[in-house]
Amino acid sequence: MIEVEQLRKSFGELTAVDGVTFTAHAGEIFGLLGPNGAGKTTTISCISGLLTPTAGHVRVMGHDAVHDGPAAREALGVAPQEVALYEELSAVENLRFWGGAQRMHNPLLKERIGKVLEITGLQDRAREPVKRFSGGMKRRLNLACAIVHAPKVLLLDEPTVGVDPQSRMRLLELVRSEAAAGTCILYTTHYMEEAETLCDRLAIMDHGKIIASGTLAELRSLLAERDLLRLSGFFAPAAARPAMERLDGIEVLQADESLLILSVTEASRKLPAIFTALAAAGADVRGTTLTQPSLESLFIRLTGKELRE
Amino acid sequence: MRFIALSAWKDLRILRRDPFSVVIWMGIPLCIGLLMRLVFGGGDTRPQGRLLVADQDGTIASSLLTGSFSNDPLGKMLTVEKVDLAAGRARIDRGDGSALLIIPAGLQDAFLNDRPYRLQLLTNAGQRILPKIVEESLRGMVDGAFYVQRVAGAQLRPLGDRGVPGDAEVSRGSVALNHLMLDLRGYLAPPLIQLETTVVENRKNAGTADFFFPNMIFMGLLLMANGLSRDIWKERARGTLRRLAASPSPMWGFLAGRLAMVLLVYCAVALAAVTAARYVAGVHVANLAAAAGWAAAAGTIFYLLLLPIAAYSFDPRSSDVRGNMLVFPLAMVGGCFFPFEVMPDWLANIGRWTPNGMAVVQFKAVLTGSANLGHLALVLTGLGALGLAAFLFSLRGLNTEFRQ
Repeated sequence: MIEVEQLRKSFGELTAVDGVTFTAHAGEIFGLLGPNGAGKTTTISCISGLLTPTAGHVRVMGHDAVHDGPAAREALGVAPQEVALYEELSAVENLRFWGGAQRMHNPLLKERIGKVLEITGLQDRAREPVKRFSGGMKRRLNLACAIVHAPKVLLLDEPTVGVDPQSRMRLLELVRSEAAAGTCILYTTHYMEEAETLCDRLAIMDHGKIIASGTLAELRSLLAERDLLRLSGFFAPAAARPAMERLDGIEVLQADESLLILSVTEASRKLPAIFTALAAAGADVRGTTLTQPSLESLFIRLTGKELRE
Repeated sequence: MRFIALSAWKDLRILRRDPFSVVIWMGIPLCIGLLMRLVFGGGDTRPQGRLLVADQDGTIASSLLTGSFSNDPLGKMLTVEKVDLAAGRARIDRGDGSALLIIPAGLQDAFLNDRPYRLQLLTNAGQRILPKIVEESLRGMVDGAFYVQRVAGAQLRPLGDRGVPGDAEVSRGSVALNHLMLDLRGYLAPPLIQLETTVVENRKNAGTADFFFPNMIFMGLLLMANGLSRDIWKERARGTLRRLAASPSPMWGFLAGRLAMVLLVYCAVALAAVTAARYVAGVHVANLAAAAGWAAAAGTIFYLLLLPIAAYSFDPRSSDVRGNMLVFPLAMVGGCFFPFEVMPDWLANIGRWTPNGMAVVQFKAVLTGSANLGHLALVLTGLGALGLAAFLFSLRGLNTEFRQ
């Protein structure tokens, strides 16, 4: 399991992670969500021993990540955001090297290499240089290298970025099966739907802090069954925002010249009033999207911005 | 230890998939060396030419004149070939020969009787050095003949007047010449001069290959060290170094593995280069294994010395620029491009104290079999200590980078 307690990491004046606390348990997929610069990768780097915390504690399977680094790292499998492989080497050679780096020995290593090649569907291309692989295959091998030593804790930093849908499905299945086998997984992603379908618990990060955490159901309850109404067109924010705030049961999440995002109770019934008020405020609405309560709407409500910004 | 072997195995596999980089690093200086050998004409630095002689006189004097071109030192540079006049002209016209010496009839008669005479020398315009040597040598001979004629003409003349001289004439002539030499001894006998010779570099029988190949091999080793040290940047760019830092294996194990790979590669390359130098280029190699071993050790230390540049540079481009800024001056000054023997003394003295300069000097000593074990051990220890310091410094840089 991973225990992060009051973690703080500063780079000079900049505090990238500020008082982050969470615990991820065995067999659990714990999602870490946040926009770029929220502090997700810094948190993962502190857990994997690449960064020394300025304050706070990180323990991996009970081993302190700073004072008992090698033991903590031995329990860890890390699939970094970028594909970190030797492209001149074959899949088997990469797995042999990374397995060896995690202090695995033959014959167990050989057995594990065969197994992870099978579960990642790479056994047919196992002897080919990685540079001939497609992007999706490289991603799968990247993950395979992280799990070749059957780690108790797996850190996955945006493992599906730039992957075709078929490979993504395969990767997600793989992550689920690892969790089902008892591995504690810390998963960061930009894809809301991935987080919603994959993660048992989630933490939403922004500006280095966790602003909400819990199960998906717990987080959804924070929205209080509010819908998310997204209006595109031309708006005068100074006029549109007060016009909306005057209406009952409407909260303005974002207002700029081309986009207006509202959190609305019973949105379908309030649409006529909203359009009337906006027209009076000089707005020209060109598009409307109504979304049921979701993680994305919660994210926008909490951070005031979309996840991909 | 196991991880060091694994890391070396990984690097060797990668190198095996891209062997051209090593071939290029070593190939450039060896090509330069080969070109130099071709330009300067093989293993002997002395030029070789052909002197065509059309002897229409056919006397003892003309034979003496022709024969003087066959004696050392001219004989080592020139092959004298007697031809008839027409054939000689035709050959020199088409550039086949360095010069054509025409000795018209009447040389001996003119010499003995102090009459004017004209020798003709046609030189090959396509050559510069050898025709000039022939011309200057011939001038010297003509001047010598003039003074002999002036001094001993009276004694020599009777020998030519009566055809083939009898025993009595030869005896009389010899006695007259002896008296003459005794009279002139006071003028001709030179003062006693003591010649003191100090051999600075052993250049005895040194050919172009012996001269340039050791330097070229070391230049190749330097370029290779520069290229291999930059591989740290490939690891950074791939993210593999960062991934490794997140594993329980230590960074020093990774660097030590690379070092083991570098040593193995240098052993193979040095053995191939020294073997080629000996059997293909004809370089004198007193002990092949020792020469290859020294080159491999020196190359590995060069790699270590260049490693901090790659470890501490902030991007691949600055690493390249800094590496080149160090390697090329070191190669130039440290006897890896221009041999120390052709450098000004002050520059050679500086160059011999550079790491590669020290290694080259000892390498040449190993090649010629004149190496002193004590000196070798001292230089190896000094360079090894520098290399170890560079290794630890690089390790510190990487650990700091990935364990902030």
